[in-house]
Amino acid sequence: MKKYLAGMLCAVMVVSSLGFAAMADETESFGVDGLATEGTLVVGFDAEYPPYGYMDDNGDYTGFDLELAEAVCQIEGWELVKTPIDWDSKDMELNSGNIDCIWNGFTMDGREDSYTFSVPYVDNSQVICVSDDAGIASLEDLEGKIVGVQADSAALTLLEEGGDQADLAATFGELQQFADYNTAFAELQAGSLDAVAIDVGVAQYQIKGREGYSILEESLNSEKYAVGFKKGNQNLADIINDDLAILYDEGIFDELAEKYEIADMVCLGESLGFELGDDLEVETETEAE
Amino acid sequence: MSFQVMMEQLAGGLMKSISIFLLTLLFSLPLGLLVSFGRMSKNRIIRSVVWVFISILRGTPLMLQLLAVYFGPYYLFNLKIGSTWRFTAIIIAFSVNYSAYFAEIYRSGIESMPPGQYEAAKLLGYSRSSTFMRIIFPQVVKRILPSVTNEVITLVKDTSLAFSLAYAEMFTIAKQIAAKETSFMPFIAAAIFYYVFNAVVAFLMERIEKALNYYT
Repeated sequence: MKKYLAGMLCAVMVVSSLGFAAMADETESFGVDGLATEGTLVVGFDAEYPPYGYMDDNGDYTGFDLELAEAVCQIEGWELVKTPIDWDSKDMELNSGNIDCIWNGFTMDGREDSYTFSVPYVDNSQVICVSDDAGIASLEDLEGKIVGVQADSAALTLLEEGGDQADLAATFGELQQFADYNTAFAELQAGSLDAVAIDVGVAQYQIKGREGYSILEESLNSEKYAVGFKKGNQNLADIINDDLAILYDEGIFDELAEKYEIADMVCLGESLGFELGDDLEVETETEAE
Repeated sequence: MSFQVMMEQLAGGLMKSISIFLLTLLFSLPLGLLVSFGRMSKNRIIRSVVWVFISILRGTPLMLQLLAVYFGPYYLFNLKIGSTWRFTAIIIAFSVNYSAYFAEIYRSGIESMPPGQYEAAKLLGYSRSSTFMRIIFPQVVKRILPSVTNEVITLVKDTSLAFSLAYAEMFTIAKQIAAKETSFMPFIAAAIFYYVFNAVVAFLMERIEKALNYYT
């Protein structure tokens, strides 16, 4: 009897799970504020991506993007939950509602069809970082060399087949993918890599901590960072756009950019429709409410 | 980042690794015994189902199983998975995966018992369940301990796979500190943490082996 009971239990489990699948609602609905849990903004980020998101001296997660998210949460009265994610799994995390947004030096160019984005706030470029004694001075010198790049990154998209720099990548000896840039830089130091394709802001941080490296003057492209939301989650994007405008208006955005040494890269003002240096008059109706 | 903060962070990560470790053992050891019964069942259907179960769990990467358990409810049934599901999914995936390995270890122990013992127990009037619980199982435990120790030590190191579900256990913390410091030092520290943890585990297992070393 016991044996059959176990068998039946299995059968029941299979049947009921099929039933669940059939009942599951295909349509996606977002709440008024577009958050998975009311009052909590869950930000997904790569904690190995300084200066945008990383672990600080006290062991807390911080960075330009995370402090911006913190400021947004202060305006809205939300609680900020910083969730370091595996960069390769970011789409699954976002689609399943585990995180509300990807806010982490997230390149929007080329991804417009896959996500809903906020206004772009950083002008980024993908660059090539080389060791000073490697004798590489231009993109042409990369012929036959081994180049490292982060898996699922914007730089990889550029260099892959179909990307804007695929022709350049074809001249490489090899294009190697890494889970994180720290490993790639360690390989660069150890001499098993000749160059690393990387976001300029991250490159500057990495070079600061190491000696004998430089960034090639020619960049691979220029692109913009924005906050990425699940496709269709316009409500949340609108709220955060409004808040970014407020933060820009109050000067908090520029203060943070100074603090993280990326002031020469930010572009939020232009995105919001201002000329840099203009007297700013931003509509702050959200604040008045 | 000061050395002290780094150690504190790694210790925090170690606690997370240990919680995965302990909970996985707690669930997978009994579950493994159950699975081994199924594997040795006289019912052919149960036997084949369990054979397939073990075959899949041992034949696919644990990282893949973690992703399947965690994201499965959303992708299969479109259920929203909350933040508490993260840790639960890790424990489920680890426990189920390790139960498959433990089941085969139990089976090796149980099948190594000479049939004469069952016959003697029957003559002495033991029921089937008390034969197993009082006579067979204690001997099985003694025999399989070295193999179990192997799996347990592997489990300590496998906890680092939990980061595929964004669970910041020790190795993840080490990687994050390494990225911040642009240095490899945190990895050496993490290696020492793992080694000490495993040395403690190995020591305890040896003590248990010795304690069970009666009749010899």
